[in-house]
Amino acid sequence: MMQLKALMVKEFKEAFRDKRALMVAMSMALMMPVMIMVMLKVAIKEAVDNPAVYVKYTGEQHAPKLIKALKDENILSFADVPEDEERNWNERNIELTIPDSFNEDMANGMPIELVMRADYNEKSLSTPIRRIKDVVRAHSLTIGYKRLLVRGVDIKLLQPIKLVEQDTSLPSSNAVMISLILGVYLMMAAFMSGLSIAIDSSAGERERNVLEMLLCQPISTLKIVLAKLTCASSISIISIILMLVLTSVAMNFVDLTKIGATFNINVATFATLLLLLIPVCFLAASLQLFFSFQAKSFKEAQSTVTMLIAVPSMIPIALMIMDDKPAWVNWMPISGQSMLMEDVFKGLPVDWNALLFTSAATIAVTAGIVLTLAKKLTSEKVVMSLS
Amino acid sequence: MIEVNNLHKSFVSKKNTVKALDGLSFTAKDGEITGILGPNGAGKTTCLRTLYGLLKADEGFATIDGIKVTEQPLEARKRLGIFPDKFGLYERLTAYEQVDYFASIHGMQGANKHAAIEQIFKDLEMGELAHRRTAGFSQGQRMKVTLAQALVHQPKNFVLDEPTRGLDVMSTRILRNHLAKFKEKGHCILFSSHVMQEVAALCDRVIIVSGGKLAAQGTPQELCDLAGEKLLEDAFVKLIGSDEGVAA
Repeated sequence: MMQLKALMVKEFKEAFRDKRALMVAMSMALMMPVMIMVMLKVAIKEAVDNPAVYVKYTGEQHAPKLIKALKDENILSFADVPEDEERNWNERNIELTIPDSFNEDMANGMPIELVMRADYNEKSLSTPIRRIKDVVRAHSLTIGYKRLLVRGVDIKLLQPIKLVEQDTSLPSSNAVMISLILGVYLMMAAFMSGLSIAIDSSAGERERNVLEMLLCQPISTLKIVLAKLTCASSISIISIILMLVLTSVAMNFVDLTKIGATFNINVATFATLLLLLIPVCFLAASLQLFFSFQAKSFKEAQSTVTMLIAVPSMIPIALMIMDDKPAWVNWMPISGQSMLMEDVFKGLPVDWNALLFTSAATIAVTAGIVLTLAKKLTSEKVVMSLS
Repeated sequence: MIEVNNLHKSFVSKKNTVKALDGLSFTAKDGEITGILGPNGAGKTTCLRTLYGLLKADEGFATIDGIKVTEQPLEARKRLGIFPDKFGLYERLTAYEQVDYFASIHGMQGANKHAAIEQIFKDLEMGELAHRRTAGFSQGQRMKVTLAQALVHQPKNFVLDEPTRGLDVMSTRILRNHLAKFKEKGHCILFSSHVMQEVAALCDRVIIVSGGKLAAQGTPQELCDLAGEKLLEDAFVKLIGSDEGVAA
């Protein structure tokens, strides 16, 4: 026990004195709330507001009513663009050409061709283009309806079928997108935060020639692995706690009510999330140690571990895409936690059986990895690759 | 007491097989300083690594105070103070913390531990290094920290793999005096070296290893007599039957 304590004290001292590795470990926690906030702000703005669109008209004097209809929807002439947005809209370059024969054709009831030129592949243009199309279509329909009306035709004849849309999503599940992002980030934080510490304490120590000395001491390799595991996973846990706290704070700066969503991390949610993620932190640290102890150099450890670790952190994303989920994803490590986290964020009650089961599975896998690693460290192969 | 009994060890790779140890046997007694001499690649480090329990011999065994290393590696290592052939420092720890760490691993604690650490820092005259981080240490200072951590728990047996490389004259003398003191107290000291004068001056018995086998053993004087040479260096070269040791 005393040996284990000494090992742990040393690991923590080293980890906390390596300011750079620590910064890398915590950077995810610090970056993520900011990113979520920015993403949400953009999403809300797009969903709610009707930002001004500036169009380069040709022949606008021919169709003042159409121009007014567009203006009512905040679609303005490029001539009125404010200076600070001029460059942007000049680049986006939406052109709308109204033919000189507009009034004449309108009076004669002839079809009129308006020409809209724009880069349809440009993502930032898709909403403006849609809005312009809607306005032009609506304006055109209004004129058409009026023409039919004056001829005594019921305009209902033009709408034999009408689709009535009803959105069944609860107000809180509008926050699903946020929670999905948060879920993926939390899983990634659990997997990535301890990475640098784990590699440094295994492949790094090997490269600095201190591992051989440690392996010659009267201490079981299991204790060595456990100490390193505890240290690396503690760093991840700290990072996750930091992330959750900062995200809760950051959420106060975003007005989610605008999109009818609510989001808060209360004490119970916080505790459940931690309970879910702590075993994942240990699993991640054990995987990192397992691979980096076997790498021949620090560099090799860095590349292989980063690659291997990216796979499990992709699981939540894969789950997002998967429509028909087989039953085993509910209790398998990582995917189980992802599913449960999703429930927590949706405000559904926690399935404690699933939580217990998936935690147990995760801990069992971790224990297996730790024991295998401890055994591997006593083998000659590891020692041979020391020299 | 350290006993090595008929050790065989081969390293097999796809292309070739290297026989590092070929039936090596020797004994290092308590109260004596035993030196291992041998040309590069003679199997010294392999032999010592087998002693620490890092490598497993294909045949034969090693015992420390009668404990078989392969059967009870932890018990055997408790009785060892090791200065390995490759060593590094925890660069983010201070010298004191590093020695403290190894003392704790050896089961020392409390006031006892602190007294032992203070003592070893005093003995090796490295008091001013104690609370500095080891990151910028010179080769000699690093050696001293490693020695301190190997000796802090006052092990019954010392195994030192070339402990004087890179040490300045003063430090070498301190180390020599230290080893002599431990010898007086009845500790068993086994060390490998390439410096003939040092081996001649310090060792009670010398073991010459060549090609994984014992080439000769005895006091430095006995070895000189055996080879019919005046200097240990000449005797060494003659006994291993080639000149390759000279370059080592």
